[in-house]
Amino acid sequence: MSDTVLAARPVNYNDEVVKKFVIAAVFWAIIAFALGVYIATELAWPSFNLGLSFINFGRLRPVHTSAAVFAFGGSALIGTSLFVVQRTCHTRLWGGAALANFIFWGYQFFIVMAALSYVMGYSQGREYAEPEWHIDLWLTIVWVFYLLVFLGTLIKRNEPHIYVANWFYLAFIITIAVLHVVNNAALPISWYAAKSYGAYTGVQDALVQWWYGHNAVGFFLTAGFLGMMYYFIPKAAGRPVYSYRLSIVHFWTLIFMYIWAGPHHLHWTSLPDWTQTLGMAFSIMLWMPSWGGMINGLMTLSGAWDKLRTDPGLRFSVTAVGFYGMSTFEGPVMSVREVNALSHYTDWTIGHVHSGALGWVAFISFGALYYLVPVLWGRKALYSNRLASWHYWIATLGIVFYIVSMWVAGIMEGLMWRAYDKYGFLQYSFVESVIAIHPFMVIRMLGGVFFLIGGIIMAYNLRKTVTSPTTEQPRQGLGTPLGGFAVAGE
Amino acid sequence: MESVSSLLVGAMVAAFGVVGLFLVAHAADSEMLLFGVSLAGFAIAFDFNLIRRHFNTVDKAHAAEREATHV
Repeated sequence: MSDTVLAARPVNYNDEVVKKFVIAAVFWAIIAFALGVYIATELAWPSFNLGLSFINFGRLRPVHTSAAVFAFGGSALIGTSLFVVQRTCHTRLWGGAALANFIFWGYQFFIVMAALSYVMGYSQGREYAEPEWHIDLWLTIVWVFYLLVFLGTLIKRNEPHIYVANWFYLAFIITIAVLHVVNNAALPISWYAAKSYGAYTGVQDALVQWWYGHNAVGFFLTAGFLGMMYYFIPKAAGRPVYSYRLSIVHFWTLIFMYIWAGPHHLHWTSLPDWTQTLGMAFSIMLWMPSWGGMINGLMTLSGAWDKLRTDPGLRFSVTAVGFYGMSTFEGPVMSVREVNALSHYTDWTIGHVHSGALGWVAFISFGALYYLVPVLWGRKALYSNRLASWHYWIATLGIVFYIVSMWVAGIMEGLMWRAYDKYGFLQYSFVESVIAIHPFMVIRMLGGVFFLIGGIIMAYNLRKTVTSPTTEQPRQGLGTPLGGFAVAGE
Repeated sequence: MESVSSLLVGAMVAAFGVVGLFLVAHAADSEMLLFGVSLAGFAIAFDFNLIRRHFNTVDKAHAAEREATHV
């Protein structure tokens, strides 16, 4: 649909809730990065926990992961999904402003309650699902309303077609709901006590946990952010998606295959061999849809590559797609049982997770934020492209420091743990491997400092974009860049 | 639509606030106490904000009406 037709049928979009999620995403990004730096410092120099139980690594680590994944990533995802579904369906959010506000404040309440419970020492001990049963219930309520608002908006759309970004967002919302409910099934010891016992035991418990854990990566950190990619890259580049057919193939293959890949987290355990092999086989098959999607994202820039020089937001998005390709190559390699024998339990895994989390998730979010802030606040452009460029290079350098140091540390750990002498004894004690990786822990921490500095620069730049008189729009209207190009399903 | 939505959401959040008070009253550990107090506080703050927004909207409509009829 052209801009002219859009202008003839103006829709009073609910951008207020999107703005709130954008502000929350920037706020939580800084918190998550700062916490990451702090716990990385604790790993390099353990005395930094100051002997205080509530800031030791074990309690702050889930605060960092939840702040990064659910607070920063979740706020970016929910905010952009509510922006995209309105624009591509050409209608206001279903359910009214009060319900949208409940989703925002309810979600923030979940994040704060979860973080407080971790530092107080309450945890289910399930990775990426640490909150106890009462906080899980609260999230379920908020999430169901989020699903209703998204679905309701899709149902009352004024466009015949459902744009592909909405398919990815919808898969993210529905699948996360299913994963959350099944993984967190538990029996509380009392309605008035935070402690509960999980519904599963033994290897079944491990399988459910990693079915959840891997699909939290697949559907929260991948499918949702692919929705972001399929909207914001075409918008920023001013080009339609390279192949719409490929995007649909990408969607269905990714959705079908990801859900089977979880058992690769349990190689060499008491999980039956055939289940481990199944997880490994599906992980390797995932190469195809992942790289299909990456190619589609990159090729969307055909004829617009020059914009990478002038648009730092787009540079973030495109680099994110590159990191997506890299981490979705590395993941299947690590899922091969023989490779996993070396990599599992080492810092290689941590490096892999961060190449995805920093390079893909954070960068695609930064690209969306740099696009959204001028549009939402009606400003003509970013306050400073130069600052955004500084952010880009400092953050990229931070990622390189981080993942390279973790590769080296991880492979060294794996090799030291499996080395044995001529008598058949282990050659190194565990603590020797800890001492050996100390320099790389310091380099990793420095990488985190770089990423944090980049995040602070972004927060300053976006704040000035909203408040500085130099970015004021000379006229009101739906022209570029306020309205953007009508290339992404509008 | 907006007023119906506000009413339903407001009533639902108020009910959550009451649940929060029950949790505080019977809390068996510090986590549940904190959660209950926070839930009740969340409900009060959210519903007050809903009421504030309602009256702001009404005031805005009255102001627009006065503006339109002013000669």
